[in-house]
Amino acid sequence: MKLAYYPGCVAQSSGKELDLATRYVCRALSVELAEFPNFSCCGSGFVDEANEVLNIALNARNLAIAERAGLNVLTICSTCQGMLSLANLRLKDPAVRSRVDGALRPLGIEYRGSVVVKHLLQVLTQDVGLDAVRAKVRRPLAGLKVGAFYGCHLLRPADELAWEDGEEPHAFEDLLQAVGASPVYYRGRVMCCGFPIQFVKAETASRVAGRQILDAKAHGADAMATPCPLCHISLDAYQNQAAKAVEAPLDMPVFHLPQVVALAFGATPQELGLSRHLVPTDSALAKIGASAVA
Amino acid sequence: MSAATVPAAFEVYRFDPAHDKTPRYQRYTLDLSPHTVVLTALLRIRAEVDPSLTLRYSCRSAICGSCAMQINSKSRLACEAHVGPEMARHGRIVVEPMRNQPVLRDLVVDQTPFWQQYDRIEPHLKLDPARPMPEGKVTAMTPEEVNRFRETPRCIACAACYSACPAVEADAGFPGPMALAKLYRFVVDPRDQAHQDRLLRIQPNGLWLCLRCHLCTEACPKDVRPSERIRDLKEMAIAAEGATELGSRHAVGFKENIVDRGLLNEMRLVRQTYGTVGMLGQVGQGLKIVRKKPEIARKPARIADLEEVEKIYEALDRSPPKEEG
Repeated sequence: MKLAYYPGCVAQSSGKELDLATRYVCRALSVELAEFPNFSCCGSGFVDEANEVLNIALNARNLAIAERAGLNVLTICSTCQGMLSLANLRLKDPAVRSRVDGALRPLGIEYRGSVVVKHLLQVLTQDVGLDAVRAKVRRPLAGLKVGAFYGCHLLRPADELAWEDGEEPHAFEDLLQAVGASPVYYRGRVMCCGFPIQFVKAETASRVAGRQILDAKAHGADAMATPCPLCHISLDAYQNQAAKAVEAPLDMPVFHLPQVVALAFGATPQELGLSRHLVPTDSALAKIGASAVA
Repeated sequence: MSAATVPAAFEVYRFDPAHDKTPRYQRYTLDLSPHTVVLTALLRIRAEVDPSLTLRYSCRSAICGSCAMQINSKSRLACEAHVGPEMARHGRIVVEPMRNQPVLRDLVVDQTPFWQQYDRIEPHLKLDPARPMPEGKVTAMTPEEVNRFRETPRCIACAACYSACPAVEADAGFPGPMALAKLYRFVVDPRDQAHQDRLLRIQPNGLWLCLRCHLCTEACPKDVRPSERIRDLKEMAIAAEGATELGSRHAVGFKENIVDRGLLNEMRLVRQTYGTVGMLGQVGQGLKIVRKKPEIARKPARIADLEEVEKIYEALDRSPPKEEG
């Protein structure tokens, strides 16, 4: 299987460990990643607040790059997934279409609308399949209770994205089970991480994040895992602020989705950049018999 | 039990502040047709098992918006939720009052905060007496103009969105999805003459606290799609008022940031949003993050064919918008 790899901005910068783990997992499962150094940022839900048509056009350009190569797109970020998928949908509106085409045509870019955008979670659970994932597990994450945290833009608006049950999704939990972990079901798993308003009102953002971490903790999670590097920033890099906002001590390790899978495939913490996390993952690693991060 | 029924296991939130220190969940099991709606089941419980069960309802037909509550943790109308699918999905039916509003008793909440936020947006047409409508033109709207807010009048003010909203939950100052969707309706109404003022006043501690999580759009039984109208309002606020708030500075800053190299320059965005001085407040946390993730302080790579992105900006962002239609 070959896909146009759209890593997104964060995984190429502060969230580099997500890119490392993605490559590890895709290599193990023979998912070939075609790279395109001309992909731009997806707009991240901010550019469309300032100029929606501009944002759609940027993503039409991204999608056209994959279309020219005859490939579907692989994302590793819930927000990239949402923005690229919504661009695909909004382009069906003739008024939007004509403005976007008007901007792209002079550049010799045409997007016909044939590209399917898939998040790694969808590729692993639906295309690669859980049997193939199971077959690669060398170190089952037995005894590790993991709270999946989906990230809004992977699920909603559900009627428009609709690859999963938006209200009661289970793909992530199915994947966790396939690698031997025990999924934890909690309300917060489909809630918001607070990230979009981290810069608007940090205390409110941190309270939103803190509630979800507390919820996972109350349901017995040893760790959380997220398919979105923006959620990861909120839940991991700002967890100390979240703890202050909800006035409770928090020490929840938060993994990127492919890190969890790669650990089960036998990757070392070093290969997955776990030392780059703000909250140490040692307690979770100890449960699965992996050596702690140096 | 006849073949056409399922055993429906209810766990209903019970709380009477006059007598109870803490809420409790009461179990009731009824044999019901899977097509029975939860409201009908609750009324049967009240009529046949426990007359003290307190709930709010009226029309039973998803018109009045009175019976919103949490059913298996989702905010929805009890008169629309069917017993069969809930049992199939969850194996039980947990019924709780709406969130984000204080409980008065059992399933009834005090909706004062919800209505106060609605009042805040002044939900009525504001006409300028100096600019009366032309004779015979009291409803001077074209079908296209009416179509711009075709979704919001469907709102039945059930407050399911308010109950589902994590921004309301974390910040009582946030107006909530319904109030903002209603605000949109007046902002795009060509008869209203206070658009500018409305957009200006809703921004501090308002519009920009939306998390765009779309939980309101999921909860809404009438497909009003508040999160999408809030996005529209943000774009209109920036067009009308410029980047005057942290939220709009962030959105505009982000837009200007990524055209520079094609990818996000994370550190530069912090400066764009807060300004050089305001950025100082972020230094403590910033250093903690930079120590683990040094790339955050570096410029991203410049993408190939960046000039294509620049030209798209020139076409759709730098030149004045062309007349619609």
